[in-house]
Amino acid sequence: MADKVGSVLVIGGGIGGIQTSLDLVESGLKVYLLERTHSIGGVMAQLDKTFPTNDCAMCTISPKLVECGQNLNIEIITNAELGSVAGKAGNFEVEIVKHARYIDDAKCTGCGVCAKSCPIDAIDEYNYGLCERRATYIRYPQAVPRAFGIDKDKCIGCGLCESLCLRDAVIYGDKEQVKKINVGSIILSTGFESFDPALKQDYGYGEYPNVVSSFEFERILSASGPYKGHIFRASDAKMPEKIAWIQCVGSRDRGVERPFCSSVCCTYAVKQAIIAKEHIREGLDTTIFYMDMRTYGKGFEQYFNRAKNEHGVRFVCSRIHTVDPGSDGNLKLVFSDDDGQLREEEFDMLVLSVGFKPTKNVEEFANRLGIKLNEYGFCKTSTFSPIETSRAGVYVAGAAQEPKDIPATVMEASGAAACAEALLAEAKGSQIVKKEYPPEKDVSGLKPRIGVFVCKCGINIAGVVDVPAVTEYAATLPDVAYAEYNLYTCSQDTQVRIKEIIEEKQLNRVIVASCTPRTHEPLFQDTIRLAGLNKYLFEMANVRDQCSWVHASNPEAATEKAKELIRMAVGRAAFLEPLHTIPMSVIRRALVIGGGVAGMNASLSLANQGFEVELVEHEPELGGNIRHIHFTLEGDKPQEYLNSLIEQVQAHKLISVHLESQVKKVSGHVGHFESEVRSKKLEVRKIEHGVVIVATGGVESKPIEYLYGKDDRVITQRELEEHLANSQSTIRNPHSVVMIQCVGSRNEERPYCSRICCTQAVKNALKLKEQNPDTQIYILYRDMRTYGFREEYYYQARKAGVIFIRYDEQAKPVVSNNGRLKVEVKDPILGADVVLQPDMVVLSVAIDSHLENENLAPLLKVTLDASKFFLEAHMKLRPVDFGSDGMFLCGLAHSPKLIEESIAQAQAAAGRAATILNKERVEAGGVVSCVEEKKCVACLTCIRMCPYDVPFINKAGVAEIEAVKCHGCGICASECPAKAIQLLHYRDPQVVAKVDAMFG
Amino acid sequence: MIIAEQKPIQEIKAMIAGYQKVLIVGCDTCVTICMAGGRKEVGIIASCLRMALQIDRKKPQLIEDCIQRQCEWEFVDTLKDKVDGVDAILSSACGVGVQALAERFPNKPVYPALNTTFMGMPNEHGLWVENCRGCGNCGLGRFGGICPIARCSKGLLNGPCGGSQNGKCEVSKEMDCGWQLIYGRLKTLNQLDQLEDILLPKDWSTDRDKGQRKMFRGDVYYEQTV
Repeated sequence: MADKVGSVLVIGGGIGGIQTSLDLVESGLKVYLLERTHSIGGVMAQLDKTFPTNDCAMCTISPKLVECGQNLNIEIITNAELGSVAGKAGNFEVEIVKHARYIDDAKCTGCGVCAKSCPIDAIDEYNYGLCERRATYIRYPQAVPRAFGIDKDKCIGCGLCESLCLRDAVIYGDKEQVKKINVGSIILSTGFESFDPALKQDYGYGEYPNVVSSFEFERILSASGPYKGHIFRASDAKMPEKIAWIQCVGSRDRGVERPFCSSVCCTYAVKQAIIAKEHIREGLDTTIFYMDMRTYGKGFEQYFNRAKNEHGVRFVCSRIHTVDPGSDGNLKLVFSDDDGQLREEEFDMLVLSVGFKPTKNVEEFANRLGIKLNEYGFCKTSTFSPIETSRAGVYVAGAAQEPKDIPATVMEASGAAACAEALLAEAKGSQIVKKEYPPEKDVSGLKPRIGVFVCKCGINIAGVVDVPAVTEYAATLPDVAYAEYNLYTCSQDTQVRIKEIIEEKQLNRVIVASCTPRTHEPLFQDTIRLAGLNKYLFEMANVRDQCSWVHASNPEAATEKAKELIRMAVGRAAFLEPLHTIPMSVIRRALVIGGGVAGMNASLSLANQGFEVELVEHEPELGGNIRHIHFTLEGDKPQEYLNSLIEQVQAHKLISVHLESQVKKVSGHVGHFESEVRSKKLEVRKIEHGVVIVATGGVESKPIEYLYGKDDRVITQRELEEHLANSQSTIRNPHSVVMIQCVGSRNEERPYCSRICCTQAVKNALKLKEQNPDTQIYILYRDMRTYGFREEYYYQARKAGVIFIRYDEQAKPVVSNNGRLKVEVKDPILGADVVLQPDMVVLSVAIDSHLENENLAPLLKVTLDASKFFLEAHMKLRPVDFGSDGMFLCGLAHSPKLIEESIAQAQAAAGRAATILNKERVEAGGVVSCVEEKKCVACLTCIRMCPYDVPFINKAGVAEIEAVKCHGCGICASECPAKAIQLLHYRDPQVVAKVDAMFG
Repeated sequence: MIIAEQKPIQEIKAMIAGYQKVLIVGCDTCVTICMAGGRKEVGIIASCLRMALQIDRKKPQLIEDCIQRQCEWEFVDTLKDKVDGVDAILSSACGVGVQALAERFPNKPVYPALNTTFMGMPNEHGLWVENCRGCGNCGLGRFGGICPIARCSKGLLNGPCGGSQNGKCEVSKEMDCGWQLIYGRLKTLNQLDQLEDILLPKDWSTDRDKGQRKMFRGDVYYEQTV
């Protein structure tokens, strides 16, 4: 067998591909990140805000883009496609076809002179054609790589850009190149495309200008969009007063061959309505026409309720048939209202909530890759291996597998990384490049000697700011030993020059006045470090983004401002101090709390990567909730799976299982925790470990309504499933069954949706029908939430004759017993009360968080949400991380979810945990907070304000902040009323010097 | 601890407007913890005053300092050198600290930067409540650990008045009825029978209404015993 290769090909540079790449390199695997367009970022980079927190999408993804772009071991290959794939898991030979970009992305500085001079307009696909760009373009301002490209279909070859580019980056004769690489594994994160709403001809998209797709509307809302964040309608550029959303356009629609649910559209429509209302403050009327509101994700139901109750978004449960033109560019809709009456209403603007479809040419792509697709053209996976494709060594993350939201994509991305890491465990580190640095010079006690390098950025800065004059001025500032200007300070030759000058002029502080530290600070820090200076002896002045770009019309004032910015940087630089990190060794062992499906999968994933695992379960046996699951919609056999899982866990020599045990104490920090695990016999075992994974699961709640517990014929879905699976059961064949959804969910006590119960009800209904097609089944529901491909089973259930009756939260069904069971419910469509007399009532009950969570959270110093589920660090981009480093969560401990989602999340937690366990050391210190003990009055402010629970009052009675835990956010330093805390690199004198220099 | 809050900057400005050189002294104890007059607040007060006075084209010299406890002579004495050179002192301590400075430095005018509000604690970060009135004769043992003098608006000793509605005091909807709390606590402790004892009028002679209170402890206050 050929040796395994320590690198991975990631196909698709959206948020999924980015996350998986970052996890892979952290775990010691080199990454080739293949992207079809000119830049990574994918659809998330086109979104305005994200639900349910309304965080700016660009603000959250941008740091990840930058991190990806800067990582030495991630090779981003843009404008490229997959060619052929040969070989097998562990060693694939892959051909990559890199299309001509016509601008060398290694040379391009992203200054944009080429695009400014380009005389040709083209349709801007990034803005879904709502505006134009030039033929020479960059997809969006924050794009990574920050390099332009030429749209050759449009380019007339005028040569303007070529002659203006001072970096000689334009290559008119650029050719397609084929690159051959060997990789150990392939991860697909190719995402999705949005459904073309023109195919739903009755909705008038393309015919009426004021009908837009939801993806277009996302750009309209965005400040960087075609209308700069103002909401206009296309027909007359008027601000709309009434906007309607039509849901399920190209979803749940067999007529256009999109039978599945796209999972995210309900929540994004809620978001768009809220954000639109924020944009147009006075009296924007918003209405969402839906079939079922599927706000099933963590926090989504509460978000939906806020939209309804606080923001006044109107929700109408009605499928719109046709859109007709109204007066004055308006759109006329006919719909049935709550009483079943037909009504007609006009709207100024219409947003079509379009669904997901597979990417273009997906069959051909799948053939090349040798993987199977499902009947909808998405990547085929199975319930128990939700991340593995049909070909060994090829994994999938995100919407390429099924329509899903960002957190689910990010989870699978980390999970896919974990799968590849397990496959390539022995090859880790083999292809990773590490930089060697010379020893650091000691600058303590030396008078500051500052070097200032001013960048012309081609003509980007120099075209506005008088760079020679600014440089001359810089040379006169105190402590400045040397100043010069460069055409491009970031170019490779300038890095060499900066190093030489540091030597020659004996500089001990360096300032670059150029663009933004967001993208370029690490480059320059690296340069001075290569010259033997501590990287914190560097300071940057942004004279491009914050000066020449914004003051282009006033060169004189811009030149003065550039001088001020540099003066400030010099002021601060004199006070900069070298900072050092202290390496702390990592205990390469994980503590996994909870031995259900999630805990066992996380343990196995880590053990397969070669890490020791201590798995703690409080029950006498492994398994958790899956013990009660006997069949799935897809026809899997959960008990067989469970047995094999337990067997694998018990047989794995790196996993130690502690049954009937509980974690009683946790101390320490990332890389080195010390915990105490107590067994039932009260034996205490001390465990040292580098990471913690919390997988405590959830529990089925006990209902208190609908005669449950008072009448044996009223049972829960789980109890029904036990009966159905038990051939001895006496109640396997009821004549008629009523199922009631949302029992204990989506109410005041539990405002969240329990996510799985609709699927579970459909599953059990189909099983009953399978056993006896004559069984009469009624499902009383509020919204059927059979999201994704589960929609098919909802359809099958209706086809099999299961009757679905919607009920309103205000008029819940009433169950009574007069000898026979009686269920009364008001059918809103018939407008009549329906009386049913079933043999059995089955309750779809809520999922509660585990009681253990309340004991565990304070031990781990992590947070629970209002419903006592564990709270992740960030709902979108850090769905399995806790705010505290080295701690992760998965499964029902996070929120209710299906088996496949728990498994994917467990693998994600393992993937994230591996990024730490893979290191021999974690670095502590650098930009962290420091307590000056004699000033501390133990007021507890820092302890209360720290978002990561790091400070504590030590034995000496003063606050202590462990460098290894501190995130360097600086909140404690700014809050400390005794001025006892300083954030290193941002100490008061450093900041004050900068401000003084501005005024001085 | 003692809770205080900063006076409006206009009021402080009016007090020190006539001086050229002012020493602003914070206190590292209670008022630091309640975020009213610690080292950081002294800096903020000084900056605000500089800006406020600059509007009137005044440029007084403001010297910032903070000592461990303004209510102890030993700490106050460390200020002596700085005090000598200034025209006035602005104290961001509680009223005790202000008076200590005034007594120690009789030739310098001393001004308060804070209003001393009460003895209490932070219920949450940034929210302080009064829990003790310092009556000098503690009866908390009778009331389930909840003081009716500090926490009943009327200071009633034998149960609530008619203004107690739904657990709240008629003085404000935001304010819990102290007696409701006492009742709840005693119920939890299974000590409701305590409420059957009628308390006689309290002996207020230990309260502050008889002028400045003093207290000494014989075993440590040597001069008294000699």
